[in-house]
Amino acid sequence: MAPEPPLLSMSGITKSFPGVRALDGVDLDVQAGEVHCLLGQNGAGKSTLIKVLAGAHQPDDGVIRWRGEPVTLRSPIAAMRLGIATIYQELDLVEHLSVAENVHLGHEPTTTGFVVRGRAAKEATGRLLRRLGHPEIDPGRLVGELSAAQQQIVSMARALSHDVRLIVMDEPSAALDPDEVDNLFRIVGDLTADGVAVVYISHRLEEIRRIGDRVTVLKDGRAVAGGLPAKSTPTREVVALMTGRTVEYVFPERPAPPPGDRGTPVLQVRGLARDGEFEPLDLEVRAGEIVGLAGLVGSGRSEILETVYGARRPTAGQVLVDGRPLRPGSVRAAVRAGLGLAPEERKAQALLMLESVTRNVSVSSLSRFARAGWIDRGAERAAARAATRELSLRPDDPAVPVRTLSGGNQQKAVLARWLLRGCRVLLLDEPTRGVDVGARAELYAVVRRLADEGLAVLLVSSEVPEVLGLADRVLVLREGRVVHTAPAPALDEHRVLDLVMEGSPAS
Amino acid sequence: MSHLTSRRGLLFGTAAVSAGALLAGCTSNDTEDESSAAGDTRPAADDKPGKHVTIGFAGPQADHGWLNAINDNAQKRAKKYADVSLELTEGSNDTAQQIGQIETLINKKVDVLVVLPADGKALTQVGLKAMRAGIPVVNLDRIFNTPQAYRCWIGGDNYGMGLSAGHYIGEKLKGKSGARVIELAGLDNLELTKQRTQGFDDALKNYPNVRKVARQAAEFTVESGQAKMAQLLQAQPKFDALWNHDDDQGVGALRAIEQAGRDDFLMVGGAGALSAFQAIKQDNGVLKATVLYPPTMAASAIDLARALGQGKGVGGLAEFEIPSSITLYSAVVDKDNVDQYMPTGFR
Amino acid sequence: MTQHASPPRDSADTLAPAGRTPAWRGLWARADVRTLSLLGVLAALVVIGGVTKPDEFLDTRNLQLVLTQASVIGVVTVGMTFVITSGGIDLSVGAIVALASVWATTVATQEYGFGGILFTAVLVGLGCGLVNGLLIAYGGMVPFIATLAMLASARGLALQITDGRTQIVTVDGVLSLGERDSYVLGVPPLVLVFALVTILGWLVLNRTTFGRRTVAVGGNAEAARLAGIDVRRQRLYLYLLSGLCCGIAAFLLIVLSGSGQNTNGNLYELDAIAAAIIGGTLLSGGRGTITGSVLGVLIFTTITNIFALNNLQSDVQQIAKGAIIVAAVLVQRRTASTT
Repeated sequence: MAPEPPLLSMSGITKSFPGVRALDGVDLDVQAGEVHCLLGQNGAGKSTLIKVLAGAHQPDDGVIRWRGEPVTLRSPIAAMRLGIATIYQELDLVEHLSVAENVHLGHEPTTTGFVVRGRAAKEATGRLLRRLGHPEIDPGRLVGELSAAQQQIVSMARALSHDVRLIVMDEPSAALDPDEVDNLFRIVGDLTADGVAVVYISHRLEEIRRIGDRVTVLKDGRAVAGGLPAKSTPTREVVALMTGRTVEYVFPERPAPPPGDRGTPVLQVRGLARDGEFEPLDLEVRAGEIVGLAGLVGSGRSEILETVYGARRPTAGQVLVDGRPLRPGSVRAAVRAGLGLAPEERKAQALLMLESVTRNVSVSSLSRFARAGWIDRGAERAAARAATRELSLRPDDPAVPVRTLSGGNQQKAVLARWLLRGCRVLLLDEPTRGVDVGARAELYAVVRRLADEGLAVLLVSSEVPEVLGLADRVLVLREGRVVHTAPAPALDEHRVLDLVMEGSPAS
Repeated sequence: MSHLTSRRGLLFGTAAVSAGALLAGCTSNDTEDESSAAGDTRPAADDKPGKHVTIGFAGPQADHGWLNAINDNAQKRAKKYADVSLELTEGSNDTAQQIGQIETLINKKVDVLVVLPADGKALTQVGLKAMRAGIPVVNLDRIFNTPQAYRCWIGGDNYGMGLSAGHYIGEKLKGKSGARVIELAGLDNLELTKQRTQGFDDALKNYPNVRKVARQAAEFTVESGQAKMAQLLQAQPKFDALWNHDDDQGVGALRAIEQAGRDDFLMVGGAGALSAFQAIKQDNGVLKATVLYPPTMAASAIDLARALGQGKGVGGLAEFEIPSSITLYSAVVDKDNVDQYMPTGFR
Repeated sequence: MTQHASPPRDSADTLAPAGRTPAWRGLWARADVRTLSLLGVLAALVVIGGVTKPDEFLDTRNLQLVLTQASVIGVVTVGMTFVITSGGIDLSVGAIVALASVWATTVATQEYGFGGILFTAVLVGLGCGLVNGLLIAYGGMVPFIATLAMLASARGLALQITDGRTQIVTVDGVLSLGERDSYVLGVPPLVLVFALVTILGWLVLNRTTFGRRTVAVGGNAEAARLAGIDVRRQRLYLYLLSGLCCGIAAFLLIVLSGSGQNTNGNLYELDAIAAAIIGGTLLSGGRGTITGSVLGVLIFTTITNIFALNNLQSDVQQIAKGAIIVAAVLVQRRTASTT
C-alpha cells in the first residue's frame, strides 16, 4: 500500500458495560477502497465496535485515527461529518415518511435554511436510487409500504446522500434474496471503485469470499485475527478462529426408516389458502417427521406457517391436528390442539425481553402450575429448569433475563416453551436466524431429537442447505405455490435453487 | 354587628331596590321556588308590562352550585315578566365557544345582552362588539377589561367578602387576647381568591388581638375542602375561628372537622349555600355564619336588562338611567337573619 | 418482593456471552435498590416533617390522616398500575370516580342505604371499565383515545346527574365509617380497604396467572398472542379491574367527604400515573410494581401533608412537587444504573 496512513485506524479500543467487557483492546485498520469484513459470533463485540465507529458509543480507552489524525467521535453526527455512515441490521427508517424524506432526514435541502425543497430532495433521491440499481423505487412513496429489501436500499441511499468515505454494513444480506444480494455486491463494487471503504459484517462465509478483501475476526471482545486475506484463508481456519471448532454445519443423522413412512399424520393441511399470499396447499406431517418448506423471500413461507398456526385467518381450507379440524384464525385453538410456533422475529414475536428464561418458558403453560389462578412458583421453576436442561440451554440457570442469552439459546428458550407445553407439532420459522455458526449444529440436533421423540416438525428456512440437511421431506415453494415435493436426500442445493427460480423441476 | 346589618340594609338595598323597583308584587317566596330570585319583595318601581324586551343570556357551564343558581335566578326572573323573553345559550367554559354563542345572539339582534363570561378578559372584545352593534350589555360578575364593553356591570365583592368575614370574626373574638384565626381559601389560581384573602387580612388589622396563623387553599370542591381542612386541623391543634371561602368546599371542611371531633372554634363560610344556611339555623355545629356572594345578582341583571330595554331608570333613585356599575354588598348571614336569606340559598 | 427486571440496555450483542457474567445477580440487588431508594425518599420526607413540625407531624393522628388521604388515590393507583404494566393507560379514572360517586349518592340510591351506595359505586366503576375494555380490546381503539372519550362522557354524565350540585350523604352507616369511632385498633376503615386492595393487587400481579399474563401482554403483546394468551380478553379484564378500583375509590371518597360531587377525582389520572411511574412501573409496559406505586402515593401524600403543616401555599407546593418528581426519578435511575 501507499505510504499514506490507512483511512481508519482503531487501536486498543476498550468498552465496558456494567458487568461486561464488550471490547477489550480491539485493533482495526481499514484502507480506502477495500471491503473489510468483520466476523464473529453473537456477543463477540461486533455491534459494540461498529457503534463506537458510528459515534453511538464512547470507548473507555483506545485511539481512533482518521487519515492518520486522532479523532473523537462524540456523536453519530460527528461520525457522519467525517464521512462514516452506518447501515444497521435493524433498519432505522421512519415508516410514515417518504423515501426522499428518509434519505434526507436531518440534512434536508433547504432554501434560507428553513423551507424544505421537496422537489430537490426527490430528485437527489431518485439519482441515488438509480445509482443503487433501483430506479423503480418512487422517492415519494412511504417507506412503510416498501419491502424489506427495498427499505435496505433506502437505508443505503441515505448513507450515500452524505459525502461518505466509509460505510459500515451490519448483515446487509440477511433480509435479501439471492438476486438482491447480487445487486448489493455490485453496489459494494461500485463504491470501492470510487475509493469508498466498506466494513462488511455477515454470518455468511461465502459472501465474504466473494466480495471481501480482508477479514478481521472478533472473539470475546478481542480481535483474534486482523487483516487476513478474505479470499484465500481456508474456511476451516476462519471457523476455528470464531468458535474454536473446525466444523461449520453438521446435520444430525436421519432415522433409519424415514419417519414419513411409518408415523401417523399429526398435522394435516387441506386446501389452506390466503388470497394474495399463497395458493391452496395440502401437506401432512407425521409424528417424528421434519417437513421443510424451501422458497425465496415472498414465496409465502412465513405466511403459510402463521396461517397454519392461526395467527392469520385463511381464506380457504382447514388445518387438522390428529384428524380434528382447528377453529380457523385462532392461535389459542391451535395452541390447545398442540401446535407451537418459533417465529422468525424472535425478539418481536416470541420473547418477553424484560423477563427471565423461566417466565419465557412457562408463559404458555401457566395454568399447569396454577390452582385457581395461583401460580406454584416452585413447580414452575422446576419444570422450566427441566425443559431448558433437556435442550442444554446455556447458562444452566433459568433465572437469568432472556435478553442476556445468545441467539441460539434464545431460540432454545422458545423451543423449551413448547416442550413444556407438551406440544405435538412444532412450527419453525427461520430457526437459525441470528444464531452463530457454531451454535447451529447443536440446534439442529435438538430439533432432530424432538422429532425422534415423536414431534411433528414443519420447518421454514431461506437457507437451502439447512432445509436439505435437516428435513426429511421438502416442499419447494415459488410465488405461493408448491412446485415440487421430494424426500430431502433426493434433492441438492442447485436443484432447489433452480426450482425456486424457474418454478419447474428442471433437470 | 348591628352596624353591619344596617350597612347591609343600605347597600344591598341598592341592588334590591333596582330589582324590586321593576316588579311590584312579584313574590319570589313561593314554596317550590326556594333557590330563586332576590328575597327582597319590597315593591319599589313599576312592573307594569312595557315594551317587549328580548334578553340574550350567556353564562359559563353550571358545574358548580353557585353557577347553577345564577342560571336558575336568571331564568326564573325572566319568566316573571310577561314582556321579557329570554334567549338562553348552553353554558360553556370554553372561551371560543362562548364568543361564538354571544356573536350568535348579536346576529339574532336581541335587545339586551346579559353576559357572565367564563373569562372576563378574554371576552372583552365580543362585549365591545355587541355595544358597537347597539346592543347594551349587562356584564355579570366577572368584569370585562374596559367599561366600554358594558353598559352596566353588576357583581359581587370578593374583597368585601373577606372584609365582612374578617370584621365578623374580629367582633366575635373581641376581648380575647392572643386569638388565633385560620383561613381555608379557594382555588389559588383565581384572582378572586387573592381578593378575598386581602379583604380578610385588611379587616383583621383592625383587631390587634387577632392573628391569622395559617392559610391553605382548596379547590372549591368538597373533596379538596375535606383534604385541606383535615391537614389544617392537624397543623393547628388550637385556634379560635376559621374563615372558609366557599360553602361548597365547606361541606368537605365540615366533614373533616366532624371526623377530627373538633368543635372548639367558630367557622364562617362564604357564598350562601342552602346547606350552610340550614346549618347556621340549626346552630349545633361550628358554622355560625356565612358571607354572601349572592347568586341573586343574576335576577337583578335581568331587571337591569329589562330596564335598559325599556329605557327606564331604577326606581327609588333620582337618576333617569340605571347606574353603570353596581357592586353588591357581601352581607353576613348568621342565626339572627338566616330566615330572611333561606330562600336565596343555593344547592 | 416485587419482580423487577433491570432496564433494557443494548442489544444482546453488547452483553456478555451467556454464562460469563452473573448479570442476573444484580437483578435482585437492583430491585432492592429501586424500592430502597423510594423508601429513602420517604424517610427523608419523614425527617423533614419531623424536624419542621415535630409535634404535629410525628403524631398518631397525623399518620392516620396521611394514610386516609392516600387511600382513595392509592386504590386508583393500584388499578392504574395493572393497566400501565399491560402497556395501556387509563385516563378516565378520575371521571369514573366522579361518576360513581355521584351516581351512588343520588337521593334515589341513598334510599337503599349502605349496601345501595356501595353496590352502585362498584357497579358504575365496573360498567365504565367494561366500556373501556370493550372499546380497547374488541373495538381496536387506542387506550389513550378510548379512555379520553370515557373521561369526557363520564364527567358530562356526572354533571348531568348532579346539575353541578353537591349531593350530601345522609346514610349514617356510610358516614360513621369515616369517623373515629369506627377505627379498628386505631386504623381507619378506609386505610384497611387501601391495605387490602394493595395486598390483593400485589398478590395478583406477582403470584397469579392473571398477573403473569398482564406482564406478558405489556412486555410484548405479539409474543403473548403467539404464545397462546388471549390478549384481548386480558385487556378487557384489565380495564374492568381499573374500573373496579375506581368504584371502590369512589365509595371511599363518599365515606371520606360525606358527599358526592361531579368535581370529585379531579386530575386523579395524572396523580395515579405519576405515582406508578415514580414507583418504577414502566410507562411502555412489561414491568409493574405495586409496592413502588403505593410508595409513590405515600410520597406524594406525605409531601402534601408536610407542606400543609408548614403552611406553605399552593404555588410553593406545586413547584416543589414538580421538583420532587424529577428528583425521585433521577435518584432512582442513578441508583439503578450504578449497581
